[in-house]
Amino acid sequence: MNPDVWLSALVKELARHGVGPDLAAHVVAEAAAHLRDSGEPAVHAFGMPERYAAAVAESIGRQAVRPSQGGVVRLEARGITKRYRRRQILSNVDLTVRAGQIAAVVGANGSGKSTLLRICAGLVSPDRGTVRVGGSLGYCPQAGGTSEFLVPEEHFVLAGAGRGLSRARAKADGRARAAVLDWDPDRRQQARFLSGGTRQKLNLVMAQIGEPDLLLLDEPYQGFDRGAYVDFWHELWRWRDEGKAIVVVTHLLNQLDRVDIVLELT
Amino acid sequence: MTKIAVVAEMAVREIVRRRMVLAMLLLLPLAFYLSRRSDHTGQSIRFLCLGLGWALSTAALFAGGSARGIEPRLRLSGYPLMHLIIGRLCALWTVGLALSLPYWLLIRFDQDGVRHGAIALIMALTVAVSVPFGLALSAVLPRELEGTLLLLTIFGLQMLMDPAEEATRALPFWFSREIGTYAVDHTDSGYLERGLIHGLAAAILLTALVATFSAIRLRHRAHVNLC
Repeated sequence: MNPDVWLSALVKELARHGVGPDLAAHVVAEAAAHLRDSGEPAVHAFGMPERYAAAVAESIGRQAVRPSQGGVVRLEARGITKRYRRRQILSNVDLTVRAGQIAAVVGANGSGKSTLLRICAGLVSPDRGTVRVGGSLGYCPQAGGTSEFLVPEEHFVLAGAGRGLSRARAKADGRARAAVLDWDPDRRQQARFLSGGTRQKLNLVMAQIGEPDLLLLDEPYQGFDRGAYVDFWHELWRWRDEGKAIVVVTHLLNQLDRVDIVLELT
Repeated sequence: MTKIAVVAEMAVREIVRRRMVLAMLLLLPLAFYLSRRSDHTGQSIRFLCLGLGWALSTAALFAGGSARGIEPRLRLSGYPLMHLIIGRLCALWTVGLALSLPYWLLIRFDQDGVRHGAIALIMALTVAVSVPFGLALSAVLPRELEGTLLLLTIFGLQMLMDPAEEATRALPFWFSREIGTYAVDHTDSGYLERGLIHGLAAAILLTALVATFSAIRLRHRAHVNLC
C-alpha cells in the first residue's frame, strides 16, 4: 500500500475511532516521519490502518476514561419486580442514571434485560416498583419498531413529527445520524428489504431523532458489522459527553464498551 | 394537526404499497357484483356493498396489525394517543372512499331504476363502519389469521341470514341490506331511516371501541412518573 494512501486511511480510521483531531494529527505526523525515515512499507511497519487506529484508540481509552459522576437524574427505577406466570424475572431491581452517564444492563438470555427496559419505557407494567423519567425519552427496541412498507426517510419524518421537527429537519437529522453509523439510506428501499443490521440502524436513528434526554437501547447493534459496532459505541460516548443519559442492554461487555454503570441481572 | 397528517400520510403510503392487497380490494366487490348481475340486480348491488365492506375490513385488520409494532414507540416519541387513532382512521376512510367511487360509478352507469343517492349512502356508511370494524378486530385478535377467519364468519352470516330476523341487527352491516332494499325495490323511507340509524350507530360504536382498545394498549403506565 502506498504510504500516502495508508496515511489517508489512518486519518479516516482515527476519526472513526473517536480520536480527537489534535491527537490524530500528532499520530499521523509521527507515523509519516517514521515511514519517511525508515523507508519501510507502511503495512509492514504499522499493520493495516484500521488495526493501528484501533490500537491507538484503545490505549487512549484505557488511560483517559473514568466513570462519569453525571448530572441531573434522568432515570430512577426503584424496586422493580416482575413475574411471568410462576417465573420471577426481576426482583427488586434499582437503577439510577444521570445526565452524562451510560448504564449497561447485562445478563444471560432470559435474565429480564429487555423486560426491565420495557418497564422503564412504560411499555410493560411491573408487579411492583416505580420509574421516574426526567426529560424526553427515546426507545430503540430489540426487534420491530419499524414499518415494513415505509422507506427510511419516511421513518425519520414519522419519528421527527412526534418531537415537533419539520419534515426537512427530520430527514436531515436522520441522514446525519445514519452517516455516523456508516449508512447511506436508499430513498426508495422499504424497511422490509433492509438487512437485519441496517434495520437496527434505522431503529437506532429513529430513537435518536429529536435528541431525547434519555435513550433506552435494547441491543441495538444486533447484526452490525465490526465497523458499525465501533461507530455505535463512539456515538454513545459522544452523546454521553453532550449530557445525554443512556441505558443500553447488552450481552457482554468488552474493553470497547466503556460505561459508567453496570447493572448485572441474574 | 401536523402529527395527525403525518400519521395519516404514512398509513396511506403503507396501504398503497401493498399492491396485491389493493388489487384484491378492487376485485373482491367486483367479483361479488358480477356473480349475481345477470339474474338479480338487487342482490348484485347488495353483494357489491358487502364485498366492499369485507375488503375494507380486511385491509383495516392488516393495517391495525402492522401498526402494533411501531405505535408504542411513536407514543414515546411524543404522539398523543388521539393523533395516532385519528390519523389511521382518516387514512383508511380516505382509501375506502377512493375505492368506493369507481363502484358507485359502475352502478350509476350499469344500473337504471335504482336510487343512486341511496347507493352512495350505503357505500359511505360501509366505509365508515368497516374501517373501525377491522381495526377493532385487530386490537382484539392480534394474529391476522384469527381476525381473517372471524371476518369470514361475520360476512358469511351477513350474507346468509334473513335480514328480517331480529338477530341480524346485531351484525355490523345490517344497514346495507336495509338501505339496499330502499334503493333497489323503491320501498318507503322507513327502510332508509332504519338503515341510516343502524349504520351511524355501528360506525360510532365501533370507532369508540377502537379508541378504547387503543387507549388501553397505548396508555401511560401508572408506575412511570414523567417529569
